[in-house]
Amino acid sequence: MRFQPYGATCAQRALVAVLGLGTLLLIGAPAWAQSQSGLLHFDIVGPGSKLAPIAISQLKNLGGDDEGEVSAHFVNVLSRDLELSGYFRLIKPEAYIENPQQSGYQLGQFNFTDWSSINAEFLVKGAVTASDAVVTIDAFLYDVAAQKQLVGKRFSGAPQDVNRMARRFADAILAGITGQRGPFDSKIALVSTRGGRFKEIYITSLDGEDLYRVTNNPTINLSPSFDRGVGHLLYTSFKSGSPDLYLFNLATKREIRISTDRGLLLGGAVSPGGNSVVAAVERGGATNLFMLDLQGNVIRQLTRGGSINVNPSFNADGSLMAFTSDRGGTPQIYVMNPQGGEARRVTYSGSYNTDPAISPKGDRIAYQTRNGGFHIAIIGIDGGQPTVLAAGQHPSWSPDGRYLIFSADRSGTSRLYLMQVDSGKIIAPITKEDGDATDPAWSWWLGE
Amino acid sequence: MRQIRHGRGGWENSSRRKGVIARRIAVVLVALTLAACSSSKPNGQGVAGENGAAGMGEQNLGNKGSLEQFQKGTLGADSGGPLSDIHFAFNDYTIQPQDGEVLRNNARWLTDHASSRVQIEGHCDDRGSEEYNLALGAKRAQAAKEYLTDLGIAGDRISTISYGKELPLCHEETEECWAQNRRDHFVVSGAQ
Repeated sequence: MRFQPYGATCAQRALVAVLGLGTLLLIGAPAWAQSQSGLLHFDIVGPGSKLAPIAISQLKNLGGDDEGEVSAHFVNVLSRDLELSGYFRLIKPEAYIENPQQSGYQLGQFNFTDWSSINAEFLVKGAVTASDAVVTIDAFLYDVAAQKQLVGKRFSGAPQDVNRMARRFADAILAGITGQRGPFDSKIALVSTRGGRFKEIYITSLDGEDLYRVTNNPTINLSPSFDRGVGHLLYTSFKSGSPDLYLFNLATKREIRISTDRGLLLGGAVSPGGNSVVAAVERGGATNLFMLDLQGNVIRQLTRGGSINVNPSFNADGSLMAFTSDRGGTPQIYVMNPQGGEARRVTYSGSYNTDPAISPKGDRIAYQTRNGGFHIAIIGIDGGQPTVLAAGQHPSWSPDGRYLIFSADRSGTSRLYLMQVDSGKIIAPITKEDGDATDPAWSWWLGE
Repeated sequence: MRQIRHGRGGWENSSRRKGVIARRIAVVLVALTLAACSSSKPNGQGVAGENGAAGMGEQNLGNKGSLEQFQKGTLGADSGGPLSDIHFAFNDYTIQPQDGEVLRNNARWLTDHASSRVQIEGHCDDRGSEEYNLALGAKRAQAAKEYLTDLGIAGDRISTISYGKELPLCHEETEECWAQNRRDHFVVSGAQ
C-alpha cells in the first residue's frame, strides 16, 4: 500500500490554498518519487521502512470551528511534522471508521477497536474551541494496543498560534514515545534565490509554514545563524558595498550593523551568552577570528597569523568553539576555547573540510568534506574516524541532536534536506525547487 | 620564482543549472537594452581616447565593479575596463607565471595613469564553503595587490575586496567554467 506522505486530503489542500500556505516549502510529491541521481545516493525513508502507523483524527469541535478549519490546520501541520520525524507512517484519513464529531476524544469516550481494526499503533485525538481572539486545543496521544493515554496537552493562544501548537504537540509526542523531545518548535534560517537572482535571507519552520523574509536588498546576503535564545539572527551582507555583519532582532524586526576597523567581516556566530559575537575578520588577505561586542569593539583576538580562519560555531554552553582553518595548508576543522588558548585540529582525512557544527550534546561535529563532491560528515569532538553520511553542504543540527539539515543539489537546484543522523536516512527535502536554497541554520527551541 | 600548486581534479559533474541558457539570454537582452539606452557614456570603458590630442574628445577611464554589474544583470557580458583579469588554480591564491605579463601590463597602465585608483576583486569558483571562499578570494586579491606594489604601484592606490563564490562569470559545471571564475578582476576609478 502506498501512502500519501503529507496527509493531503482535498480539504487540507483546499485549506492550504485558502490560507496561501506552503508557497515555498510544502512538498507536493512523495520524496521517494523523485529520480535518484547516480552520483548522489540518498536513502529516503519510505514504504518498507519500519515506521509506526499512526492515525491523526480531526479535532472535535466544541464551538467556533464549525467549518473545521482550525482542526484541519492543526492536523495538517502535525501530520507533516510527524512524517518529517522519520518515526511514523500516517494512516490515510479515508480509512478512519469513526466520526470525530460524534465520538469523544478522552479515554473511555471512544472505541479503540475502531483504530486497532485499521492497524493504528498510535492515535491522536483532541478537541478545539475557537473564537476570533482565542483558540484552545486539547490534544491526546493514545497507545492503541495498550488502550492508554501517553500524552495529554492543552494549548491556548491566538488563532495564528495554531501552527506552533501543532509543532509543540509533535515535540511532546516524540517525547512520549522516544523519551526525547522533538525538534519542531524551532526555526530554520536559510539563504534563497527564490523570486530572483539575489541571495536573500529567509526564516521558516521545518514544516514550511510561517515563511518570513529577513533581507530585501539586491546584493549578497550569506551565513545566517541564530543566537541561543532565538531572539536574533546574525548574517553577513554586502548591502553597504562591502561585507559586514548584521544582527536582526526577530521581535522588533530592527537590526544593527556590526563592523570593525580591524578589517572586513566575512561571517560570524553569536556567543551563547548573547552579548558578543565571534567574527571572521579579513585584513591584508589574512582572515582571523575575533570576539567582538555588539558595537564591534574587540574583546579578544582568538587566532593570529596569515592564514584563513572562518566558520565559528559554538557548543551549547559556549565553552568550546569549532572553526575552519587552512593554517596547516588545507582547510581543516579545529576546536578551541573561545576564552583563548591553543587550537586543536580535529580532522585529518581529506583535503577540504569546512563548515563545522558542534552537536547539541557537544560530543560530535558535523561538517562538509570534499570527497568526490561535497558530503556531510560527522566526527567525534576529539577527532577519530569520520563517518561520511550523504552528499550535501553546510550541515546544521536540530536542537534535539537527532537530525541534520543541509543543502544538496540533485537536479540543478540546491534544496534543503532533512536527515536522521543515527540511521543516516534522508527523510525529505524541505524546500521546493524554487530558487537555490543554501546555508541552513537550525535554531534552538523557541520555548521550554 | 613563485611555486605553482595545481588544482585537484575529480569533481563530480552534478549537471545543474537547467536555467542557465534562459538566464544567459535574459542577461544578453538586458545588456542589449542597456547598451541601446546609453548613447552617452560618462564612464566609458576601454582605453580608446586616452592621451587624446588637444581638441579631441577626452573620456574618464574606468569600469564598473562586479557587484554593480551583477545588479544590472550585465556581469559576464562585458567585464570591461583597461586592466585584465588574472586566474588561479583551485583552492589556491598563488600568482601563476602566465599572469606575470598581465600584471606587468596592468602596472604599466597604472603608472601611466597616476591619478587612477584600482580595486582588486578576488573571486572563486562556485564550489565549496561560502565563508571560506570569501576568505580565499581575499587572499587572491591581496596576492595581486602585493605583486603590483612590488612593481612600484603605491599601496594606497589599491584596495581589495572579495566576492568569494558569489559572482561567477560562468554558470556551467565544467573545469573550463570554474577556471574562468577563479579570478582577480581590476576595477579602475579616478583616471583622467
